[in-house]
Amino acid sequence: MRRARALFVYALGSLARRGRRSVALALGVALALGLYASALLLADALRAVYRGTLEVAPDLTVQRLVAGRPALIAADALGELEALPGVRSVRPRLWGYLFVEAIEANVVVVAVPSDAPDLRPALAAGSAELRAPAEGPAPALLGSAIAARLALAPGDGLALPDATGELMLLRVAGMLERATASHAADTVLVAETTARRLLGVPAGEVTDLAITLAAPEEAPVIAAEVARRLPMSRVIDRVALERSYALTFDGRAGLVAALFLPMLAALLLMAWDRFSGLGESERREIGVLKAVGWGTSDVLTARLVESLAVTLGGVLLGLLFAYGYVFLLGAPGLQGALFGWSTLSPALRLAPSTSLAQLATLAGLVAGPLVAVALVPAWRAAMLDPDEVLRGG
Amino acid sequence: MAAESEPVAVPPRAAPLAEALGCTDLVKKVRDGSRRVAIVDGVTLSMPPGRLWALEGPSGSGKTTLLLALGGLLAPTSGDVRVAGRSIVGLRDHHRTRWRREKVGFVFQELQLVRGMSLLENVLLPRVPEGGATAEERARALALLARFGLAELAGRVVDRLSGGERQRGALARALLGAPAVLLLDEPTAHVDAENAARIVELLAELKAGESPPAVLVTTHDPRFAEHGAVDRRLSMRDGRLG
Repeated sequence: MRRARALFVYALGSLARRGRRSVALALGVALALGLYASALLLADALRAVYRGTLEVAPDLTVQRLVAGRPALIAADALGELEALPGVRSVRPRLWGYLFVEAIEANVVVVAVPSDAPDLRPALAAGSAELRAPAEGPAPALLGSAIAARLALAPGDGLALPDATGELMLLRVAGMLERATASHAADTVLVAETTARRLLGVPAGEVTDLAITLAAPEEAPVIAAEVARRLPMSRVIDRVALERSYALTFDGRAGLVAALFLPMLAALLLMAWDRFSGLGESERREIGVLKAVGWGTSDVLTARLVESLAVTLGGVLLGLLFAYGYVFLLGAPGLQGALFGWSTLSPALRLAPSTSLAQLATLAGLVAGPLVAVALVPAWRAAMLDPDEVLRGG
Repeated sequence: MAAESEPVAVPPRAAPLAEALGCTDLVKKVRDGSRRVAIVDGVTLSMPPGRLWALEGPSGSGKTTLLLALGGLLAPTSGDVRVAGRSIVGLRDHHRTRWRREKVGFVFQELQLVRGMSLLENVLLPRVPEGGATAEERARALALLARFGLAELAGRVVDRLSGGERQRGALARALLGAPAVLLLDEPTAHVDAENAARIVELLAELKAGESPPAVLVTTHDPRFAEHGAVDRRLSMRDGRLG
């Protein structure tokens, strides 16, 4: 134990003596690993976000198609669907897109049905006002991105063009919680009457129908029955939604990770190059150590501690960098690449969610070879007679 | 660790009790193109403890190679080397290393202190594989440095020391373990006259100590070879002792 501690202290001293080189190597490893791990952490966190979204999504969504495009659907279809065996409830949804010239972007106008239960207080402050609007401008709850882009705060006014082109003045009653940002960053939540006027949807018609099933695993069977009962309809089940999200996120995450791979490889190759060769001073040092009575195992132990300290330090720094960049800073730059399907990109506060095994594997794949390549030349030098090392043999 | 604590893997050959360092028919050959050349060619010697011998000879005569082989730093092609009464040829590497650490002090021609470390750290370097220096060893190191006029420089990084100071520091390191054998390769070659004289005096003083080591010095320096403390002058030419 005393020997190990003494060799450990010596190895750390060696690192300090070669401080600039040690720091450069550790930073190289940290940068390479950090960038790659950032893409992985961000993709994992976004997957957690869309899985959360799917948890509250309806089992089936029914849209009406006209000429192959979504069209309004009569709300009275609701009764027929509710009567289907296995259907727990059917909820009409009224929503649509509205172009706002001031920000040159579409916002999503979503109606809170007058007969719907109150929004969860956690979802948005001021949600109760949507169900019982007071006199004056209609209340609206805004998603985080639109509020940020227009610099709006509760109490401010917001003028949106209605279906006839007239500007309709709304009053910002509150903001949607940041937790909903992944799917509601560009949303304007209004009362049903307001939504009908803004979107030009006549009474008795809605955008789609959301079906909740008693047994979600029966979704394919019931979807087929819905399609049979409502010709010209499209039934989207949750599995299809999940596939769609996965294609969006996983594809982007893979692309970003692939973009970082060459950089990871280049930096690791540089580290490999620095690690795998012994400088003249290191070679002489090994010769001196052998000459003053160090054994091969002593030299290798010290070298192992040195390379472990550098690579594990770099790996740890890289993972901390990735964690801070993604979860504390919100992955500026990278988030846009992974999450930019909307003109109004959401400002997400991502919750840490990742596979530790995945990160451990990544760290092992980086640290293992680097430690190994550091040991091989040291082992070769340590196996020589001290005289050969000192004379450069 | 059990194996390391018992350095005697090969039974020692019988050696005269009075011998600190010895070799018999020592040969070291190296490859020179397609042929093998003997750098050390059948050297036999036996050196009692407490003696100071000078090994002279022209460059390329094989002095340094002989010294390295005697110190266990170079494996001979054939022949036997005995240090403190034990044959070190044929010992396994870690046994030979440990034996060398305990019994042999070596001072190289080109100093060979580790750059970036302090003088005291360099002196204590041989103790690291033993778990680091004890308080007693540290005190001994400081005493050696003081004896060699380096007490004030113990904490100084060796890069900032003069050639003479480094040479004396290397000598202090070689003596830290109270070795039975002290081998020095041209210790006055890279120092000025004042430091050379000081080193010669220090080596002469060693003979007066308790359990003095056998000191074998390769040299070109007549000041050294002709010093009164030198007990014997050996001459080497073409790998053979004359």
